[in-house]
Amino acid sequence: MTVRENTISILVNNKPDVLARIAGTFSGRGFNIESISANITRNPEITNIIITTIGDQETVIKLEKQLNKLVDVLEVRDLTDVSSAQREMILVRMKVTASNRDRFTQIVDIHSWKIVSTDADYCILEVTGDRQEIEDSLSLLETIGMEDFVRTGIVALKRCSPQQIG
Amino acid sequence: METIGADIVIQVLREEGIDVIFGYPGAATLPIHDRLMNSPIRHYLMRHEQAAAHAADGYARATGKVGVCLATSGPGATNLVTGIATAFMDSTPMVALTAQVSTSLLGQDAFQETDIIGITMPITKHSYQVHNVKNLASTMRQAFELAKTGRPGPVLVDLPRDILASKCELAGERGASTLKMNGKRAETPEQIEKIARALNQSERPLIIIGGGVKLANAFHLIRQLIEKANIPFVTTMMGIGSVDAANGYNLGLIGTHGNELANRIVHQCDFILAVGTRFSDRSTALIEEFAPLANIAQIDIDPTSIGKSIKINLPYVGDIRDALTALLPLVNEKEKSEWLQRIEAEREAAEKKIANGSGCGQAGDFIRKVQEAMPGETTVVADVGLNQIWTVRTWKARDPRSLITSGGMGTMGFSLPASIGAKVGCPERAVVAITGDGGFYMNIQELATVGYYNLPIKIVVINNGHLGMIRQIQDLFYNDRFNTIDLGSKVDFVAVARGFGIPGSRIVVDENPQSGIEAMVNTEGPYLLEAVVDPNNYVFPIIPPGRSNIEMIHDRLD
Ligand SMILES: Cc1ncc(C[n+]2csc(CCOP(=O)(O)OP(=O)(O)O)c2C)c(N)n1
Repeated sequence: MTVRENTISILVNNKPDVLARIAGTFSGRGFNIESISANITRNPEITNIIITTIGDQETVIKLEKQLNKLVDVLEVRDLTDVSSAQREMILVRMKVTASNRDRFTQIVDIHSWKIVSTDADYCILEVTGDRQEIEDSLSLLETIGMEDFVRTGIVALKRCSPQQIG
Repeated sequence: METIGADIVIQVLREEGIDVIFGYPGAATLPIHDRLMNSPIRHYLMRHEQAAAHAADGYARATGKVGVCLATSGPGATNLVTGIATAFMDSTPMVALTAQVSTSLLGQDAFQETDIIGITMPITKHSYQVHNVKNLASTMRQAFELAKTGRPGPVLVDLPRDILASKCELAGERGASTLKMNGKRAETPEQIEKIARALNQSERPLIIIGGGVKLANAFHLIRQLIEKANIPFVTTMMGIGSVDAANGYNLGLIGTHGNELANRIVHQCDFILAVGTRFSDRSTALIEEFAPLANIAQIDIDPTSIGKSIKINLPYVGDIRDALTALLPLVNEKEKSEWLQRIEAEREAAEKKIANGSGCGQAGDFIRKVQEAMPGETTVVADVGLNQIWTVRTWKARDPRSLITSGGMGTMGFSLPASIGAKVGCPERAVVAITGDGGFYMNIQELATVGYYNLPIKIVVINNGHLGMIRQIQDLFYNDRFNTIDLGSKVDFVAVARGFGIPGSRIVVDENPQSGIEAMVNTEGPYLLEAVVDPNNYVFPIIPPGRSNIEMIHDRLD
C-alpha cells in the first residue's frame, strides 16, 4: 500500500472536548496530524475540522471508522480521492531593505500577492494557494529576505455539494 | 424536601431499572448519597473504588444489565480507572458516575479536582461533564442508552457538586433519542446470502464464538446454527460458555493459552464464521499464519472490529441476532462426517500429548473437584494469571454467563470484587471466585465488603507463593532466571480471612483437597479456601510469543 497524504473532513458537534477526542483517536493509533483547520459551519453548532495525515489507504480507512465511532462526530469524509478544492494560506514577514526592495516588489506584483501590513523595514505578505503553490512560494521568499511565516492547515471543499447535515 | 440535581440522577437510575450501585462516598458525592436514602436503590459500600468498578462490571456480566458505580472527585475518580478500562476492553455495559468540584472551581486545581474526562477518554465509549442541571436528565439517559447500544461499553458521567445540589424540578418524559446510531448501517440480504453460500460450499467449516454472542444474547441462535449445519466451533476466552461446553461440537478455547485441538482445527478449516470476536492477538497468535486455508466471514456490530487485524472476505456489520436469524434458514443441513472424523482423530492425538486432559496439572484437577462439589448453577469468576488459564480450561461452563473473567485487559485483582457484583446480581446462583495469591493481594480489602454484607461467596486462593504466570515465562523464555516473582509463604491467608470475619481453611492440593472443598461447600455464607499448589505446576501446551497457533509447546524442553 502506498503511503500518501490524506485529507479528511470531519463534521462534529461544536463542543469543548471534541477536538481532544479526535486528536486522541489519531495519537492513540500512532498517527500524526500534519495539518488541521477548524471552524464553524453554516450551522454554528456544527464545526468542520479538516485534517491532513500521512498513511496508507487501508490504515486511513480504519482511522475513519474509529472517528465515526465518536459520539460527537457527525460525518467523516475522505477528500483525498474526491474532486475537491484544497487551499492553504501563509502570512510571511519580510525584511525589506534597499537591496531587496525592487526585487521584492517585482515578485509580489507578478504573483499578485497581497501585502497586509507594512512599516519602515518590514512587511507582512499574504499568500494563498494549493500545497504545491505554497511550497514554491516559500522557497522563493526564502531567497529574498523571509524572516518568519505562519501557515494555516489545508481547507478543502468537495466540488459538488454533499448532502447537507444539521 | 426540595428536589435537587441528585434526585434527577436517582430518577434516571430508577427509570433504567437500576436497583443496585457500587460506590464510595466523598464530600462531593454526598448530595447523591444523601438522596439514595429515600430511594429503593441499594448502595454497596466497597472498600476501594477500583473494586466498585469491578463489582459493577461483574454485576453487568452476570446479569446482562448495565452496571453502575459511583465515586467521588479526584482520587475516587482516578481509582475507578483500572475498572473502567477493564470493562472497556471486554465491552461491558457500565455507567460510571463521578462527582466533580463545583463548576465555578473547574480548572482551578481545586481540592480533589481532576480531569477525569481527559483521563478516561481512551477507555470509555464516551464521557460527559454536566454543566447545567437542565441537561442532567438527558445526559444521564443518553449515557445509559450509549452504554448498552451497539457494542456496549462504559460511559462516564462527571457530576459537578453544585449541579448535584442545585434546586430543580424532576425531569419530564424522556424525549426521542438524539443518539447517533453508530454501526447501524443496514447490511443487504445479499451479504448474508453470500455468507450462507460460502458456508454451504465449504467442506471444513468452523465457527469462532467471541464475547459478542453473550453481549447480543444470541446463544440460542448460535446453537441452532451449530446443530442445524453440523458445524464444530471454538471460542475465544470471552466466548466461553456461550454454548454448553458439553456439546460435542465444542473444540475448546483458541489462542496462545488455548486448547491444542482448537488451535489445530483453526489451522485446517477452509471456512470460518467469526461471530462477535475482534480477533485479538491472544486469540490468533502469530497473525500472519492464522487460519491459512480459511475463507473468513465476520459478523460484528462494531465496524472497527471488522478486519482490524486480519483480512475478512465476507464482512457483516450489524446485530448478531439479526444476522443469525437471516442466516439460519439459508444454511443446509449437511453431514460433515469426513470433517468431523478428521477432528476426532486430531482430538485423540492432542489428548495423547497431554498427561491429564487439561494440561493444567494438579491445579486443573483441583478446580475440577471444586466444580464437582459446587451446585450446577454456579458462576465462577476467575482472576488473571495461571489460575485464569487453569479455570477457563477446566471449568465446564454450562450457562452463558457462568464464567466471568477479565479477558482483554487481564486485570489482576478483578475476581474478588467482580464476584461481589456477580453475587449481588444473581443471588440465586452460587459464586466462586478463583484467584492466585498475587491477584488476591490486589483487592484483598474486599474481604471486608464480603464479610460486612455476609455475601455467600466462596473464595478459592490458589497459592503457589509466586506470580505463577510470570514465573512460567521466566522459566521458559528467560532461561529460568527467576526474579521479582517470589511472594513468599509467610502470609496466613486463613488468619487474614478470619480477621475480616470470614471462615476458611488451608489445604495442599496434592494431599487431601477434598476435606477443604467439603468444608467450603458445607459452610453457609462466605468462605476462603487456600489451596497450596506446586509453583512448578504450569500450564501446557502454550504458544510462545511470536509463534503461530500450531506451534504449541508441551513442556519446558519443547
Ligand atoms: C494489575 C496487573 N499487574 C500485573 C499483571 C501482569 N501479570 C500477569 S499474570 C501475573 C502473575 C499473577 O500471579 P498470581 O496472581 O499469583 O496468579 P498465578 O499466575 O500464580 O496463578 C502478573 C504479574 C497483570 N496482569 N495485572
